[in-house]
Amino acid sequence: MADPLSLSVNGVQHPVSASPDTPLLYVLRNELRLSGPRLGCGIAQCGACAVLVDGAEVRSCIAPISSAVGKQVTTIEGLPQVWAKKKGLTESDAARTLHPVQQAWIDEQVPQCGYCQSGMIIAAVELLDKNPNPTVVQIKDAFTNKPPSPHLCRCGTYAAIIEAVQLAAKTMSA
Amino acid sequence: MLTKTDHSGDCSVTPTLTRRGFFKMGGALMVSFTFPGLSAIAGEVQPASATSQLASWLEIRQDNTILVRTGRTEIGTGMSAYYAQVIAEELNVQPEAITLIMGDTDKTPDGGYSAGFLVGAANLRKVGAYTYQALLGLAAEKLRVPAATLTVTDGMVSGGGKSIRYGELVQDQQLDLKIPVSGAPPKVDPTSWNGIAGLDGLTVLGDPPTKPMSQYKVVGKSHPMPGTPGKVTGKTQWSCDVTLPGMLHARLVRPATLGSTLISVGTLDKTRFPNAQVITKQNLVAVLSPNEWEAASAARAVASSTKWSEWSGLPGSENLTQALRDYKWVTPSESKGNAADVAAALGRASKTLSATYEQPYIKHAPIGPFVAAADVRSDGAVTVWTHSANSQGLRAQIANTLSTPIEKVVVRWLDHAGQFGRTTFGGDGAEGDAAILSQLSGKPVRVQWTLQEDLAWSASSPGWVEDISCSLDDHGCVTALRSAFYSAQSNDARIVGALLAGMPCSQPKPGNWIATEWPYDKIQCRLEQVYGMPNLGADSQAPGLRGLIMRTPGQRQQNFALESLINEAAACAGIDPIQFRLLHTTDQRLIDIIHATAKAAAWEPRPSPHPGARRTGTEPVTGRGVDIMVRQNSYWMGIAEVAVTPDTGLVQVAKFTIGLDCGKIINPRQLERCMKSGVVMGVSEALKEEVTFDKGKITSTSWSRYKILTMAEMPEIKVVQISRDDKGFGGGSEAANAICTPAVAAAFFDATGVHARRIPLTPAYVTTLLKG
Repeated sequence: MADPLSLSVNGVQHPVSASPDTPLLYVLRNELRLSGPRLGCGIAQCGACAVLVDGAEVRSCIAPISSAVGKQVTTIEGLPQVWAKKKGLTESDAARTLHPVQQAWIDEQVPQCGYCQSGMIIAAVELLDKNPNPTVVQIKDAFTNKPPSPHLCRCGTYAAIIEAVQLAAKTMSA
Repeated sequence: MLTKTDHSGDCSVTPTLTRRGFFKMGGALMVSFTFPGLSAIAGEVQPASATSQLASWLEIRQDNTILVRTGRTEIGTGMSAYYAQVIAEELNVQPEAITLIMGDTDKTPDGGYSAGFLVGAANLRKVGAYTYQALLGLAAEKLRVPAATLTVTDGMVSGGGKSIRYGELVQDQQLDLKIPVSGAPPKVDPTSWNGIAGLDGLTVLGDPPTKPMSQYKVVGKSHPMPGTPGKVTGKTQWSCDVTLPGMLHARLVRPATLGSTLISVGTLDKTRFPNAQVITKQNLVAVLSPNEWEAASAARAVASSTKWSEWSGLPGSENLTQALRDYKWVTPSESKGNAADVAAALGRASKTLSATYEQPYIKHAPIGPFVAAADVRSDGAVTVWTHSANSQGLRAQIANTLSTPIEKVVVRWLDHAGQFGRTTFGGDGAEGDAAILSQLSGKPVRVQWTLQEDLAWSASSPGWVEDISCSLDDHGCVTALRSAFYSAQSNDARIVGALLAGMPCSQPKPGNWIATEWPYDKIQCRLEQVYGMPNLGADSQAPGLRGLIMRTPGQRQQNFALESLINEAAACAGIDPIQFRLLHTTDQRLIDIIHATAKAAAWEPRPSPHPGARRTGTEPVTGRGVDIMVRQNSYWMGIAEVAVTPDTGLVQVAKFTIGLDCGKIINPRQLERCMKSGVVMGVSEALKEEVTFDKGKITSTSWSRYKILTMAEMPEIKVVQISRDDKGFGGGSEAANAICTPAVAAAFFDATGVHARRIPLTPAYVTTLLKG
C-alpha cells in the first residue's frame, strides 16, 4: 500500500488514509469530521460541497484528494482564522471574531434551511477576494455563471445572499 | 394539591398543579399533559403507553432558564424562533431565555406535522398561558398578595412592593402542572385517506386567559433565528452528519424503471471493494461498507451488471394531459355548489368564458438528497435519525414496516435541506431503507441517496388539468363559475424501501380535495369539483409515479386556474384586473392588501393586454399581471412585471411585488425573508420546473434536466406586509410560491396578447404558443 497522503486543511496538516482518487468531500467529512461542506448533487451542479483550495472555489464532491495535495484547503470552519491571519488579530481577538462574510450571513439572516449556505459563503469569500466591491450584477453573475455550475438554493435565499455579500464587502474594506 | 385553577368551568379541561416533593438541586416546574374526561371526548381515548413516556412539555427551571419541547420541527422558515417568541410572550420573558427541543419522539410530546404552524402556535400559546397562570398562583402564595395585582417583566414577578423571579418560585421544588389535551397518536391506518391517521398531534384544550395581541412585546419583533450562527460556522449537526459505532454506509442500486423486478444482482468485485457487501431483499438492492466512498463506488459497479425486468406503464410526460383526459373519471372526490343552478346561470348568460389550464409534475427537489441513519437492535429497539417534517408519523410508518410495536421506535430529528412538504405524512425518504438494511445487517446503517435517485425515486407533486368557465353580465361582473380539477393523488407517502422490499406500507386512497378558500364573496353561484385518480402508471406490479403534496398543496394548482380565469374575464370585460377583483369582493382585509400592494408596485389602472402587446419580434416586450389568494387566515397579492422576447420565447420576470396580511406578524424580518424566497420558488415554477418521464422512469434526474431558478434569474422583489392585532395568527410563508404563477402568466398575456394556460413558460413552449 502506498504511503498515506497528507492534506493541509484549515491550516493543519492531516495524514489521510483514503485512496488518491477519493473525492475531497468524503475525506473532509468522514475522516476529518468537518460538517461544513455537504453532499448535494455529487456531480458539481449545485455548489453545496464547495471549499477553497489555495483561495479558489473547488467542488469537493468531484475533486480527488490527489488534486489538493500540497495546497491549502479551507472550509467554513477555517474561515475565521483566514481572516484573523489577514488582519493580524491577536489570539484572543481571533477566537471571538468570525470571517466578515460569516458575520454578514448572521447579520442579514441569510440561511433558511441552510443546507447550501456553506457553499454560498465559500463562493462569496472567493468573489470578495477578487472583487472587493462587487455590484449586484457582478454578484449575480458570480453565483450563476461561474463554472462549473450556478450555486443553487432551493429555499430561494438569493436576495438575502446579495445583501450579505454587500454588507461583507463594506466590513472588509472598512 | 397545591393550587387549583379553573378557567372554563368545565372539569374536563382543568389544569392541575401538584408538588411532587422538594429537591435540594435543580428545582423546576414541569408542564406536561393529561387527557381529561376521556369518556367525554368520543373517539379520542388514549392508550397510556403512547404518550406517558414524556417528562414535560415545558420546564421552568430554578436558574431562570426555560426549556420548551415541541414535536414540531424547523423546516427552514423560522419555526424555531416563532415558537420561542409565542411562548415567551405569554410567559413575559425574553425569547433568549428559552431553549427549544424539537422533533425527537422520546423527548417531545407529539406535535403533529410541521407544516401546521398555526395549530402548533395555538398550542404553545395556550401552554404558555396555563403556565403563566400557575406561576402567578405560586407568586401570589409566596409574596402573599392577590394574583390579580401581580405584574411580570422578563420573568420577574412584582406586586405589593415585592418581587420574585420565576426561578425562585420553583427553587428546590419539583412541581407538576398538568394541562388538558386531546388527540390521537399517529398510526398506520388503512381507512385513512393517506394511509396514516393522527397527524395533527396533541391539541391543548380549554381557554386559558391569553395576552391580547395589542399588548404584545416579543411577538412582532424581529428576533434572530436561533440556528443561524451554527449554520454559518459549521457547528450545526445535520442529519447527514450522524455517525454510530460500527455503522455501515449504504448506497442503493435502484431498479431500471419504476416497475422493474430484479432478475440478477451484479457482481461485487471483492478485490476492488474488499469491505463492501451486497444486501438484497426482493427488489431492494443495497451495497454497504464501513467506508462511504467504497459503498458509493461499489454500488455503481454492482449497478452496471445488475439485471432488471423492463416495465413501461407510464404515458410519457409529453402525453400527460392526454393520459388525464383518457382516465375514466366517475365521481369527484369533492364537490361544492349546486350543479343545476350553475348550469342554468351559464346557459342564460350573454357572455361566457371557458379555458383549460395545466401544469406538469414538479418536484420538491431539496439541495440535499434524502439521508437517514437507523439502528435496529436484536431486542427490537429501533432508533432512526431523520429530517422528516413529521417525526411521530415517521415513527408509525417505520413501526408498521418493521412490524415492531411503536413503543420500541424512537425517531431523532436533525436539521437538513428544506423539503417543502414531501415528508409531511412521515413517509418517503431514506429512513425506510436505513431501518430495513439495519434490521437485515444487524448493524447501524446510514443511507445516503444520490441526487439522481432522489429526483427519480422520491414522490412528486402531480401534474394536473383544470377546466374552468364563467359567465359575465353586461357590467362585466362574473355571475357564475364552474371548475373541474383532474389530477393523480398527492398523498402517497409510502416508504420506498418497504415498497421495493415487499414489506408492509401505509395504504393511501386515491382522491383530491378542494383546496381553494373562496376569495370572492360576490361570486356566489359556483360549482367546484375535484377528481383524483391513483398514481400515474400504478398497476399490480408498480406503485407508479408516487404523488405527494408540495408547498401550498392543491390551492397552488387550483388558484392558478381560478386567478387565470379571473384575469381572462377582466380582459374580456375590458376592466383593469385589480379593479375587476375589487368588483367581486367586500372583504376589507382583501381590499386593503390589494390597495397596499398595488400602491407599492405603482400600479396604473388599465385593462390587459398592453396597447403595445405583440407576439413577434426580437426586441423584448413588457407586461404586468396580478393575482390574489386567501389561505389560512392570510390574504396574499402578487404583481409580476415581465419581459418577453417573442422570437426566442425567453420570459424574464423583472420585478415581483408581494403583499401579505397574515394577521399578527410574529417576526417581520424573517417573514420578509420567507416571502422573498417564496417568490424565487414561485417564479421557478412559473418559468422552469417540469418533471420529464418516458414510458418507464423519470428522466429529469439532474439539475441540468430539472431546472430551478438561479440567482441571476431572480426578479427584483418588493414586499408589503400588513399586521393586525385583532385577527389572530395566519399562515405567513407557505403560499409565497403559489402567489407567483398566475401573476406571471397574466403578465405574459399583457405583454403578448396571448393567454398562457400552461406552466412552465419555457422558451420551447412560449415560441410554440406565440406562433399560434
